[in-house]
Amino acid sequence: MTKTPIFELDHTTRIENDREILKNVSLVFHPGEFVALLGPSGAGKTTILRLFNGLDSPSAGEIRYRGENILELPITELRRSVGMVFQTPAILAGTVRENLFIFQKWRKDFNATDEELVEHLLRVGLSADDLNREAKSLSGGEKQRLALARTLMNNPNVLLLDEPTSNLDPQLAQRILRRIKKVQEELGLTVIMVSHDHQLAAKFAQRFIILIDGEVVEDGDISVIENPQQPVVRSFLNGAED
Amino acid sequence: MQNHFYVITWPDVLVSLVFIAVTFGVMRYWKIGLEKTLLIGTARTFIQLTLMGFILSFIFKQEHWYFMVGLLVLMILIASYEGYHRQKLPIPYYYLILTGSLGVTVVIVLGTILKFIMDVQPWFYPFAMIPIAGMIIGNGLNSMTLTANRFIAEMKHRENEIETLLSLGAPVRIAVHNCLVEAIRAALIPNINGLMTVGLVQLPGMMTGQILAGIDPLIAVRYQIMIMYMWITTATLANVISLAFIYRQFFTPASQLRLKLLRQAE
Repeated sequence: MTKTPIFELDHTTRIENDREILKNVSLVFHPGEFVALLGPSGAGKTTILRLFNGLDSPSAGEIRYRGENILELPITELRRSVGMVFQTPAILAGTVRENLFIFQKWRKDFNATDEELVEHLLRVGLSADDLNREAKSLSGGEKQRLALARTLMNNPNVLLLDEPTSNLDPQLAQRILRRIKKVQEELGLTVIMVSHDHQLAAKFAQRFIILIDGEVVEDGDISVIENPQQPVVRSFLNGAED
Repeated sequence: MQNHFYVITWPDVLVSLVFIAVTFGVMRYWKIGLEKTLLIGTARTFIQLTLMGFILSFIFKQEHWYFMVGLLVLMILIASYEGYHRQKLPIPYYYLILTGSLGVTVVIVLGTILKFIMDVQPWFYPFAMIPIAGMIIGNGLNSMTLTANRFIAEMKHRENEIETLLSLGAPVRIAVHNCLVEAIRAALIPNINGLMTVGLVQLPGMMTGQILAGIDPLIAVRYQIMIMYMWITTATLANVISLAFIYRQFFTPASQLRLKLLRQAE
């Protein structure tokens, strides 16, 4: 018996300002995968994440989450189940604890003990001492970790990462991605990460999808980037290395 | 000293043109280049206010409630139109929102004043209703247009924060909470500052006018106190009501930020 895909794009098109950002794309994502979405700027990578989190809707075609059309799912439940970490983390005023407790503003049932908060911080590589620090005073890497911890507070099944390390130095980027990989394995998450750095992505992802100009041009394992068959992909990967 | 009510005659008004003559002379001497505009402004002030005087004299002679209510509606419609055109904000239904918010604010604030504070008889007594309504409408409209502008600026500034909160499952109302708070704070601070400083630096225009017209200063003061409290309530109500409708225009029914609409704002 095959497992129900976690996400399916079924002939999905997204048009913004009269421009087709995604062109009739069909893709299937399986539970527990770590997928890297690669491609040049404007290829439609972030658009896929925004569609999965319900921040945008498809202009044509369908998107299914665990077999159900996402337009028919309650939006808040979808967003809780499909967490997203943005390229630039939006850190709210107040302490790290207040950032993690933000859910109390709309979820009456939300509660967490200090032990649970610390567990979340340790998981992403922050420490118990950080709990009472002013969140705005954190470094770039720490802010990204806090954003990740905050997203994980929802206990999502899927983690969408939009170039989570693009503002960080290479060593820090690797450390954060190692954390994310560990969290993925511990919690059994599906991770879909947008990246423009295929060499970094190659160290963590199992599957690589290359998008160019709104279309999927390659989809497969590491061989997609190690032995690119299509000239357009070779050209993109070589260009990215320059 | 006894109160006197000094009537200014039309020849007296002509004498006041000496102020314009002085200004004109200074402009000429310094080659400021605003002489023509000054003369047009002088003529317009004269014509507009004289016309308004005739219109008010006509209005104050009317004895039917429906005439006054019709006039109020007209004032609200014209003021909203003016506010709508003054700032080209990309807010769907903006004119309707301004009109509705002003209408509700006028009913609540004016109703309270006429019925519970001044207890005027009949309730549409034009000498009380029209000037107070004019103040409520003018103040409410100014405050709403500033607030709408500020709210949009805050949304643009906090776009990332709004989308992050939405992505975490927050309802729209929570995602824009900080923008709403900042916009309303900015709108109310001048009014609150007014409450702090009124009477210390200068006498408010309405009070000055009443005193000049021979009213006992203690009575004029009571009116002014009421007006000051009225202003802050007007600003609060008009802003809260209009923002409650404005922020919703920037989101789809699926709680998505309408980025295209937001980016249309200058």
